[in-house]
Amino acid sequence: MPDADCRRWQLGQADQGASDEYGNVSVLAGGDQDGARGRGPAGPAGPVDLEAALAAVARGDEAAFAVVYDRAAPAVLGSVRRILRDPAQSEEVMQEVLLEVWRTATRFDPAAGSAAAWIATLAHRRAVDRVRSEQRAAEREVRAAAAVVAYDEVADAVEASLDRERVRRCLAGLTELQRESVTLAYYGGYSYREVAHLLGVAVGTVKTRMRDGLIRLRDCLGVG
Amino acid sequence: MRTRRSSLHALVGAYVLDAIPVPDRAGFERHLLTCEQCRDDVRGLREAAALLAAAAAVTPRPELRDSTLQAAAVTRQLPPAVGGARPARRTWRRRLPAAGIGRPWLAASAGAVAVLLAVTAVVLGVHLAGMQRSLAAQERRDGALSAILGAHDAVVLTAAVTTGGTATVVMSHHARALVFTASGLPRLSGSRGYELWLAGPAGTRSAGMLPPGRHGMTGPMIVGRLAPGDAVELTVEPVGGSSHPTSAPIVWLYLGP
Repeated sequence: MPDADCRRWQLGQADQGASDEYGNVSVLAGGDQDGARGRGPAGPAGPVDLEAALAAVARGDEAAFAVVYDRAAPAVLGSVRRILRDPAQSEEVMQEVLLEVWRTATRFDPAAGSAAAWIATLAHRRAVDRVRSEQRAAEREVRAAAAVVAYDEVADAVEASLDRERVRRCLAGLTELQRESVTLAYYGGYSYREVAHLLGVAVGTVKTRMRDGLIRLRDCLGVG
Repeated sequence: MRTRRSSLHALVGAYVLDAIPVPDRAGFERHLLTCEQCRDDVRGLREAAALLAAAAAVTPRPELRDSTLQAAAVTRQLPPAVGGARPARRTWRRRLPAAGIGRPWLAASAGAVAVLLAVTAVVLGVHLAGMQRSLAAQERRDGALSAILGAHDAVVLTAAVTTGGTATVVMSHHARALVFTASGLPRLSGSRGYELWLAGPAGTRSAGMLPPGRHGMTGPMIVGRLAPGDAVELTVEPVGGSSHPTSAPIVWLYLGP
């Protein structure tokens, strides 16, 4: 029932997003429409396919990397900040991830998923691994050396995007346990054992809720 | 057996959410090699997870754009994965059926830590080009370096050297090895040199003398056989090396349990 609702909603919105061959409607691109209009440095007018930009990046095209940055950086920073919380550290990780995208664009394989999913995976894993790394003291030294300027929370307005609304609607279609399992893991950076502890349920239950919740989310979003 | 496989398959959601504890992640990735259904699931669920990321999007400070683009402009890109890649990659590709999920993700992580190094270098004002060159040269000479830099659990540690300069370690517990580089170390008189040590519950072991610096950069030096609880230490020793440190460490980096 919620799934059908989401699909209908998505069909209605399809003309507003750049659709690629994987059926993703502007994945990671929540910011790009705002960004391209608001900042203007994204290069050619109109939405540029992220896959195409990444292919150009693989050939060393710095202008294409600027496009990839504009499209991917907001989602990378957003997901990393949900996990790390610390704004300076999050910016650092965001830059690391984007540089990793630059450096390894030659290895991106479109057959294995969308560019947006590739970048999101790099970002999320990097953030989670950093959280779980026990090398916090050493990282603090790096941060101190970076002389990070004061962070302006006001400049950090969450981007209103089609993606936000789609995800909000589809998350609402999950059971509470599915939703909490998925969001605590993805936005909280918690392991399934930690999520099980937080929710007071068995580890096995959390594993299946994560899987079932993500599957329902995927079907509702009409991706994958 | 059947129970084991189905319980592994249940982990596909946790895997996509990076909710599998790091030590267990490799086990699931091995399972992925043999489970086509799991790879398909991972691929599809990652698209959903990407939208979770998109839904959290925030606008980065504009300055970050310039510094990231500038850092990219001085960062060498990985060559495409064509035949004749490094042995580890070839093995991975052979074991994976065509278009298997996981392969590009793994390949993509291979340069991740070198990028981290580059960022650290920018941040710390290190001579980046020199570092890139020495990294590239070392990569050609020795696949061990890329194995460490590309390890899924690689982490970067940086510390100031008390006598001046900066030490950077890229370490993989999985590979039980690390890469040590330093920048801006003070030049020593001809009779003395820098010696690297592993020190921990397993004892204090020399990892060798640092090679002479070039363009202010020293290393990279590959150090294997890490033991739990080890720290990396750097001391100044007679140029031929010592069997035990004879001076106080000028840098000390704890590598974790």
